[in-house]
Amino acid sequence: MKARDASNDAEIHTALVTDRDLGFTMLVRRYQPGIYSGARRLTHRHEDAEEVAQDTFLRAYRALDTYDDQRIKDLKIQGWLWTIALNLCRDRATRPNREMPGLAEPPDSTSDAMPIDSESWNRRLARLSDDQRTAVVLRHVADLTIRDISAATGRPEGTVKTDISRGLERLREAVKREEIL
Amino acid sequence: MNNIEDRLAGLTERPPQSLERSTVVGAGAGDLVATVDSRFGPLWIAWSSIGITGLTPSFASPTVESFLDHHRRVSYEASSMPRSLETEIEEALASGDAESIAFDLRGLSDFQQSVLESCATIPPGSVRPYGWIANELHKPGATRAVGTALAKNPIPLLIPCHRVVKSDGSVGNYAFGAEMKRDLLIHEGVIAL
Repeated sequence: MKARDASNDAEIHTALVTDRDLGFTMLVRRYQPGIYSGARRLTHRHEDAEEVAQDTFLRAYRALDTYDDQRIKDLKIQGWLWTIALNLCRDRATRPNREMPGLAEPPDSTSDAMPIDSESWNRRLARLSDDQRTAVVLRHVADLTIRDISAATGRPEGTVKTDISRGLERLREAVKREEIL
Repeated sequence: MNNIEDRLAGLTERPPQSLERSTVVGAGAGDLVATVDSRFGPLWIAWSSIGITGLTPSFASPTVESFLDHHRRVSYEASSMPRSLETEIEEALASGDAESIAFDLRGLSDFQQSVLESCATIPPGSVRPYGWIANELHKPGATRAVGTALAKNPIPLLIPCHRVVKSDGSVGNYAFGAEMKRDLLIHEGVIAL
């Protein structure tokens, strides 16, 4: 059996109940790129982002083994995955000897191409509060809904909207300042 | 200048291609596939973190795609097999004794797993009738179902379904033809045939 292309949540729910391993593969296919992209902005280093993007799903797989069918059917998948991913990002942020955002070594030539101003964005995002940065990245880089961000962060939807709005405003100001200079 | 939201959306990056594979295989949800040489030509072998999940001779599945189309689990082609596993498989194929090999039969029905586990206990140089497995499973009326389960054996040669014959001593059916079954039994010294 080959790994399937991205599927919708209803198909993933069904597969997770009828064939856990196939459903898990569909889950990885659909959501790992978003988790990786978001983690890349929240951890600053692509090595950390890879670890987060892998460990999130390994933990999810172990958790699924303990869930009954109804709990799996009720899962808000993206919010649930990001709850796990954010915990892993926080773990990495508190590790000693962290490099400063923007000073991390660029990936070697074998890695995927990086957007040209990737490190500039890491620096701008690092100046936001943790809650603003998380909300902005989840909304605009990882493409989560406000509801899913609320589920993942445990913050009310209104607060998430405020975090995003203020975060974007600070980013606009930062970009404007840099362009004037 | 694009607005800030568009520029943030442009930060989306594709993870390395190997990440999906290492995640799925690392979780135990998927298999790796590579070939091992044998006297029947190359064999496609799939394995998980638990054990061997599938085997098909390349004369039956000429390409990895054709093997993956029929394999019951999500799988990814590996450049090679761990040397220790390859050695174990080569030795098991040569001796007919696969006792040291771990099998992963997840995804098969409980009945099929029981049939295959029982079949795996038949030593090289011996044959058993289909009814023997049915009796071993305390289902003496399930001879036909045993035959069906063996016909779907995902790990032939290593799980020796070729050692199960008709009650009248004739060779019976085999997924790769009765001739190959006869050849295997002659090779294992079942001289009664």
